[in-house]
Amino acid sequence: MTPVSPVTPVSPVTSKRLGTTAKGGGLVLLAAIAVLFPQVLTNPSVTNYGVLALIYVTCASAWNIFSGNTGYISIGQAVFYGSGAYAMGIAARDWHMEGTAVFWLLPLCGAVGAIIAVPFGLIALRVRRHTFIVITIAVFFIFQLMAFNFWFTGGSSGLNSPFLSWPAATYNTPFYYIALAYAAGSVLIAWLVRRSRFGLQLRAIRDDEDRARGLGVKAMRVKLGAFTISGAITAMIGAVWFYYLNQVEPQTGFNPLFDLALVLMVFLGGYGSISGPVLGALIIEPLTLWLNTQPALSGSVSEIMLGAVFLLVVLFMPRGIIPTGGEFITKIRTRGRPAVIPATTIGPASSGPTTPFSSGPPVSSGGAR
Amino acid sequence: MAREITQAIVDGVLIGGVYALMAVGLTLIFGVLDIINIAQGVLVILGAYLSYSLFTKAHIDPFIGLLITIPAMFVIGVFIHWAFISRLRGTERTSMTLLVTYAVGLIIEGILFKIYGADDVQINPRYVNSSVRIFGFYVGWVYIWGFILAVVLVAVVYALLYRTRFGRSVRAVMQDETAARLVGISVNKVAALTFGIGVAVTAAGGEVFGLTNAFNANSGYDLISRLLSIIILGGMGSVGGALGASVFMLTLESVVTIWQPNWAVAVYYAALVIVLVYRPTGLFGRKAVRAQ
Amino acid sequence: MSANLPWFSRNAVALGAVALAVGALAACSSSSSSSSTGSAAATGSASSSSSSGPITIGASLSLTGDFSADGQAYKQGYNLWVKDVNAAGGILGRQVKLTILDDQSDPNQVVTNYQTLINTDHVDLTFGPFSSLLTAPASAVAARNGYAFVEGAGGAPTVFDTQSNEADHNVFDVSLPVADEFLPFVDYIASLGAAKDKTLTAAYPSANDPFAIPPVQLAQAKLSALGVKTVYSKVFPEETSSYKPAADQVAAAKPDIVVLGSTDVPTVSSFMSEFAQDHFTPQLFIAAAGPDQGAAFTKAVGAGNATGMMVPDGWYPGYANATSKKMVSEYVAQYGGTASGVNADIAEAYSVGQVVNQAITAVGSVNNAKIISYLHSGVTLQSVQGAVKFDALGENASSDAFVFQWQDSGKNFDQVLPVGATGSVPIIATKPAWQS
Repeated sequence: MTPVSPVTPVSPVTSKRLGTTAKGGGLVLLAAIAVLFPQVLTNPSVTNYGVLALIYVTCASAWNIFSGNTGYISIGQAVFYGSGAYAMGIAARDWHMEGTAVFWLLPLCGAVGAIIAVPFGLIALRVRRHTFIVITIAVFFIFQLMAFNFWFTGGSSGLNSPFLSWPAATYNTPFYYIALAYAAGSVLIAWLVRRSRFGLQLRAIRDDEDRARGLGVKAMRVKLGAFTISGAITAMIGAVWFYYLNQVEPQTGFNPLFDLALVLMVFLGGYGSISGPVLGALIIEPLTLWLNTQPALSGSVSEIMLGAVFLLVVLFMPRGIIPTGGEFITKIRTRGRPAVIPATTIGPASSGPTTPFSSGPPVSSGGAR
Repeated sequence: MAREITQAIVDGVLIGGVYALMAVGLTLIFGVLDIINIAQGVLVILGAYLSYSLFTKAHIDPFIGLLITIPAMFVIGVFIHWAFISRLRGTERTSMTLLVTYAVGLIIEGILFKIYGADDVQINPRYVNSSVRIFGFYVGWVYIWGFILAVVLVAVVYALLYRTRFGRSVRAVMQDETAARLVGISVNKVAALTFGIGVAVTAAGGEVFGLTNAFNANSGYDLISRLLSIIILGGMGSVGGALGASVFMLTLESVVTIWQPNWAVAVYYAALVIVLVYRPTGLFGRKAVRAQ
Repeated sequence: MSANLPWFSRNAVALGAVALAVGALAACSSSSSSSSTGSAAATGSASSSSSSGPITIGASLSLTGDFSADGQAYKQGYNLWVKDVNAAGGILGRQVKLTILDDQSDPNQVVTNYQTLINTDHVDLTFGPFSSLLTAPASAVAARNGYAFVEGAGGAPTVFDTQSNEADHNVFDVSLPVADEFLPFVDYIASLGAAKDKTLTAAYPSANDPFAIPPVQLAQAKLSALGVKTVYSKVFPEETSSYKPAADQVAAAKPDIVVLGSTDVPTVSSFMSEFAQDHFTPQLFIAAAGPDQGAAFTKAVGAGNATGMMVPDGWYPGYANATSKKMVSEYVAQYGGTASGVNADIAEAYSVGQVVNQAITAVGSVNNAKIISYLHSGVTLQSVQGAVKFDALGENASSDAFVFQWQDSGKNFDQVLPVGATGSVPIIATKPAWQS
């Protein structure tokens, strides 16, 4: 069945112009806010939120480049995050680097992430989706244990970062801008991938891998490519995180809750969309951190509240905020206008076979399997 | 050395029984219903605390207390499914279940912290440390009973799945939900009941876990990755496989611990990866039970 | 990915909304807390300009998460100290107000918490978190802002080795440095005589943790030098499926002495349970942590089984120190239980408060820079854990390690080593068999 648009705006030209203006305006506004944020709100405890949130934006977006497009849910991103952190720590220690020079190690950390991604991907990507999840978990634990046990990783004490003698008032700011650059880059790459043939191939794999293969898509190569890009980005931002916190330990660099948080952020914001992960990260990370800084809420109360918030969002916006938000906006904009073509409505209750992880776009191109 | 290895194997088998009890529920929930129940670890702890409270407040023996905790957890499971999971719709449903179960887990954990505090507790009936001598070493009674319980529950669930009409509906839903609906099976009801059964079995897992470990509300997190890996290794939806995989995992770890405890878990995970690469449906999974 | 809107337009609205929300949140958090402090304080290192409002102190503790059992105990200890100090008129005539935040045993959160306490709430002073693992990133934040960082739970060498501490020297640990904590035990074994020593065997299982490994390794080195034969020496992961295999393997080796590198109660209780099931009772059983947690320990293992268990510590409930005894009775009055059920964490936290109190009083203000140099000046301070004197790195050079033992069916937690030291009672030289 060919994709059908259930509602057509009455005036396509106006809508397009409106869309473009909103598009440009929104982006400019956002960019301005992001860049000016630490200049306007200079309190380090506020910019701290910015740094950590942007780190997660980068990771969530990178996660989405692979998992969002291919449908393979990875709960092993921490492998790259921690490896990047450790790579920077080991290199800085062994090469006696200090101060801002350490940031030149970032491309190296990205390379480490990419190098790890290749064998990791070659093993993990041969299996189907359920099994893939577990393999990512398994590799994650293997890496965590290696960090605990190898002689060069500092064992259970972890690694301390080189010293940065920046003054407290402005310490966060460079980290903020670096994280912002990475976040913007990650989103940009996600967008480019989406628009490219590469992205199309990825999504074809998500819809129906066998059919994609039949159509000539070199599935393993394509999946591995996305996996590697995702891994390299995550490794680099992991290194930034390490330098920001001044320390990495096996259980913090390779933290299972980190992986879970990424998945949550992406799904909250809207799986498969570009801005979904951004939104999810910008909401969840600051919210989680902030809840615990309120003495009355600190502790188990904040956990209960966070859980309740998630539940509410999921129940009312089961596809994530962005897609549901988008539908809501569409509903408002097209209220009262008759559908030009008798609608094959794409409502939220479109069930069809809920085959595992076969997450085609709602404008589905496939029939039942 | 032979004695050490024998003991390690026996240890592994018995601890495998404990983990099987915790994992069987998950294989039903994840394997059959496609729900990534990240809260399984927390549910185990909930079951442990229920047994603990019954034991310390009402002096009910933990094993007898199962007669209360299993139905109680069944009700909790059905409620969770009805209230939250059944509302999920759409093509991303499976992955949204991760969010939902995580949220439910957070809430349960927070409540447990509030009620019980952070101190570690353990269920300590009089017989908790008694043991019997076999093969020249001692084996704890709670582990033996735990293992027997695991076998019994696996058998019961297996019978439920393969010898009853209800079980047939469950398997139908697992194979093809749409077709099941077309045949007139009330998918939501079957799903809720299956989820409930999965959580009910977890009560037993929690009880035995609480007998063999000191725990607090935070102890659930360490469990979930192991449980997930066990059920995939065993084969999704295969209850016998959950038992087999648990035993395999814990025995491997236990034997490696003789030489290198630090690497024992890594060895298990490496073995897991190797098995899965060559046999993606797991040790006992049926091929293409469901379209992936 | 729903209807055919150009994705930018719906995203633009969403992203704009997010930007506004984040901005609002940030503005809220930066303004709300600065109105909650009484004093109009500048950022940290300058002295608090108001001299009449309460002294504000901030701390982050693991109230949930991996270290929650200890974190909650620390909270009780800090709060008890605040109550006592305020009842006695405060410090420099000012009442003390303590804010405790939960860091969920997570480093991102601990950094955020201290940033908030220091830069949003503008607290006058900071107390440390629980655990060596969290102290390093937290102390770096404090160091940058010029705050002294007095803590009682970060004793592993890695806490003091951080580059920020080496530059700013702001970390002060009031408790026993961990590496030497088994030495009184080693001395006791030595006192049994060389002939006896050569007949003894020992096992050294340890969790893979910077707090547990150094003391166990040192004990092993010294005991081996005395002639004690090592029959088991392995490190197991902090987080493992089950301690049973390792414990069974230790039991199979039938050591006379077991030196366990544990970091919490579950590890020790598992080993004890397994030993009981194996019908194996070591003659001497000492653990790095766990038995020092008072009622939390006896509740988990059973009071009868606790008898004979030993643990090194800088404090115990029966310590003949007036302030300590008062603290213990207040704790029992507030939380119930008995004196021996008081967790050592309470005393550690209380000592942090005492040390800071003495520093402020001596310096005459809450100026962090002055407090730091005062604490490094070689002065000896008093605490419920005994004398406190900081060396150049910030470790407590004055603290003496004592070894304590549960006696009398788990009713008493007594100091037993060094033999003959003030307060030591006779040691139970052979652990009684497990009860089952």
